[in-house]
Amino acid sequence: MAIAHSIQSIGFLSDFSESVLAYPIVMSIHLTCIALFGGMILMTNLRLLGLTFKSVTITDMVTSLRLYKRVGGAVMIATGLLLATCEAEKYSPNPLFWTKMVILGLIGVHGLAFRPIVYNRTEELDKSPVIPTKVKIAAILSLALWTAMFTMGRLIAYWDTD
Amino acid sequence: MFLQNAVADLLNEADWTFALAECIHIGGFAVGVGSIALVDFRLLNLGMRHETAARILKYTEPWTLIALVFVIFSGAALFLSQTEIYLVNQIFPIKMYVLAAALIYNFTIHRKVATMKDPPPVLSKLVAAVSLLLWVSIVFGGIFTGFLI
Repeated sequence: MAIAHSIQSIGFLSDFSESVLAYPIVMSIHLTCIALFGGMILMTNLRLLGLTFKSVTITDMVTSLRLYKRVGGAVMIATGLLLATCEAEKYSPNPLFWTKMVILGLIGVHGLAFRPIVYNRTEELDKSPVIPTKVKIAAILSLALWTAMFTMGRLIAYWDTD
Repeated sequence: MFLQNAVADLLNEADWTFALAECIHIGGFAVGVGSIALVDFRLLNLGMRHETAARILKYTEPWTLIALVFVIFSGAALFLSQTEIYLVNQIFPIKMYVLAAALIYNFTIHRKVATMKDPPPVLSKLVAAVSLLLWVSIVFGGIFTGFLI
């Protein structure tokens, strides 16, 4: 708890949490990134499952928006970090916050595990007459992880120390 | 009145129902706004350049519609559970006006330009920028509504 207290006492973080406007603006940016880029990730997964964008190549779907998804992801993490550290004492004992962090880690593991066999082999996948099972597994896991991620994000606020 | 009481009872009695409605609201707007953003990014010439905006719209529209139904129903449930708080909130009515504008805009001007054969690039970009601005404003409106409660 001492560490959490020291973190949130850092000058600009305590100014930030006390600001009437800065905190909700940063939270809105966090949510906007979820809406824009989280939504794009969802649609990409639906393409990998063959549920939509059937005439669009997997390559086009995965690679053409990659840069924006990455930038959006970076902003999401940066704003999330700011929101969590400015209230470190409140977040550090919250098991739902740590569950969310584990899910974030699992999203990283998912990326590392499936990039070499799915996301970096999209041209090969486009030549395949059917969508391989590994691609569908990658998409379902990604959908499940992102759903768990935003659900935990919302539920963090409901955890009570009492 | 009956509906309002029934929804308020359901969402306020159990701890998890309000949270569940909020999660459906967030998931719904991620799919809704994300699917509209795919069309907008194409109109802005930022991605999916191998496809026309009309084709992207054709694919995304059913998902946008389903998502918006979930967002609106879950939002209505959240509103009905604490009507008195939302009615005195200064930001909430602005969010509702912008939502009405965004919905009308999305299914009229936005749709028309996205399905045009060769829209002037300036028009495409302007229409996409306004669309993104409207939807992002609603997200901001939602957060600010919560902060004023």
